[in-house]
Amino acid sequence: MAILEIKHVSKLFGGLAANSDVSFEVAQGSIMGLIGPNGAGKTTLFNCITGYYPPSRGDVIFKGNRMNGLQPDRVCKLGMARTWQKVRPLAKMTVLDNVMVGALCRTNSLKLAGEIAMEQLKVVRMEGKASFLAGGLPIGERKKLEMARVLATTPELLLLDEVMGGLNQSESEEIIQLILDIKARGITQMVIEHDMKAIMRISDRIVVLTSGEKLMEGTPEEVVSNQAVIDAYLGESHI
Amino acid sequence: MDTSQIVMERSEKKAGGKAAFFSAELIIAVVVVGALALFPGFVSSPYTLHIMILLFLSTINGQSWNLIGGYAGQYSVGHAAYFGAGAYTTMLLLQQMQIAPWFGAIAGMGVALVVALIVGSICFRLRGPYFVLASIAVAEILRLSAMNLKDVTNGAEGILVTELPALTIAGRTITDFSSKVPFYYIGLGLVIVTVLVTYLVQHSKLGYYFQAIREDQDAAHSLGINLSFHKNVALILSALLTSLAGSFYAIYVGFVDPPTVLGLDISVQIVLICIIGGIGTIYGPVVGSLVLVPLSEALRSNLIAESIFKTGLVSETSNVGAFLKENLAHAHALIYGVLVVVVILFMPDGVLGFARKLIVKRKGGRG
Repeated sequence: MAILEIKHVSKLFGGLAANSDVSFEVAQGSIMGLIGPNGAGKTTLFNCITGYYPPSRGDVIFKGNRMNGLQPDRVCKLGMARTWQKVRPLAKMTVLDNVMVGALCRTNSLKLAGEIAMEQLKVVRMEGKASFLAGGLPIGERKKLEMARVLATTPELLLLDEVMGGLNQSESEEIIQLILDIKARGITQMVIEHDMKAIMRISDRIVVLTSGEKLMEGTPEEVVSNQAVIDAYLGESHI
Repeated sequence: MDTSQIVMERSEKKAGGKAAFFSAELIIAVVVVGALALFPGFVSSPYTLHIMILLFLSTINGQSWNLIGGYAGQYSVGHAAYFGAGAYTTMLLLQQMQIAPWFGAIAGMGVALVVALIVGSICFRLRGPYFVLASIAVAEILRLSAMNLKDVTNGAEGILVTELPALTIAGRTITDFSSKVPFYYIGLGLVIVTVLVTYLVQHSKLGYYFQAIREDQDAAHSLGINLSFHKNVALILSALLTSLAGSFYAIYVGFVDPPTVLGLDISVQIVLICIIGGIGTIYGPVVGSLVLVPLSEALRSNLIAESIFKTGLVSETSNVGAFLKENLAHAHALIYGVLVVVVILFMPDGVLGFARKLIVKRKGGRG
């Protein structure tokens, strides 16, 4: 069953089409990879799905509901949460408070939110940093904080925008494990990533975007062996 | 990590151990309030009481602005609009319809609420400097209206009220408003109310949401926070309390005119209290008031020139002395401005943030 359906979505900025006629479905509980060269419209598509931009044409359907025109806070309440390519820590708040802000999406009780937040910090193994200021964290921990914060909103669908960007090998490995753990909890994920090895390992299916259009969709094996994808994005060295 | 971050971590850790911290805080609060309540019993000098009342007024103003500016991060530089709304409503009702100011203040809050709703619905579409400009514009519109709607507001001549009706609280009737003592207690009561409101906001979902909006609007939005709703709540709370301060000012001074309650300098003063003290904390506006009110009074009453004469560096009768005596008092706005610039330049986190940094540096130095 598809938890998310993207139907003929286009996003125009003036005359420029950042996305044009993109369609695909994300199956419940799966991980969908989203790859493509810089400027292919991956983040724009995330923004259209999560309510930051209304799509110029087409529909975004989440759990059977048409989402177009809903504000990001409503989208979050309905169970869809995102991280940001450029991390956005609430710098002058503590790590715990950051995650509590996410948890408060489902509860009015600070006590309960604190418990949920602590739980999520344990998931990303940052419980020891709970009282640190978010602004002082190194990039790896900022990315993990961002993950804990969206997890605290108890999403059914998680959109991760380059959560491994700028991380070293062991940090990336930690994030990969985290993504697989999240999948094991039954949460559907859409992942934008440039690290092909990582995306191959975690994705059930992959959508390739170039110049705002969907080039192809398939299993990781199908994608890396597709000549059009090699020409547009991967290059010969990946074979 | 720089020192300021370590400082914040420490203070946050403290807040983390809530039970112990809360009770210590509570004891201090009770002692301070108790001491302030007994204060007029020992000090009868009207001037001292006047300074205390100014301190209270400044703290109420600063604390109110802190809700929208310090916590929610929306820098309104038009809070004179709410201050003036409270002041004018109270005075007009008193003068024209003999409605007691205690009820006039409530009506003033109603007017401030309407103004806040209008400002919120228009200005919160704007972010950053554009919001600041829009907030200034609204206050200026109100000032110009008060100036020109002569039939209602008496224009530039203002409204003067000398007689206040008797006030009965808990069986005691207060009629003597020529003394400063009743105003002292009203001011103290309002300080307690605003600090309490701020404390409750800070320790609730609202406080978390306000701060999230301050730190990053887009991130806050994506975490399920309805931006315009929460900004409006912050503004309304802030406007209601500022309007109370305005009403209090009006009945204390007994006179309002457009520049003194609706002027841009009132808006700027309100912001400065927080900027100087440190924004986004309960102590910030208190510290800011403790710095700004005595400073402004000392400059105004020529204390500086007198203290220079006392040191004997300059004789009062010499030419230089005469010059200083003549001009220092007039230059108080200039000196005040320069000092404010210096504080902002060297203490970007306010006096409170600066003090915290110093403490950490000392401890760090010892290893």
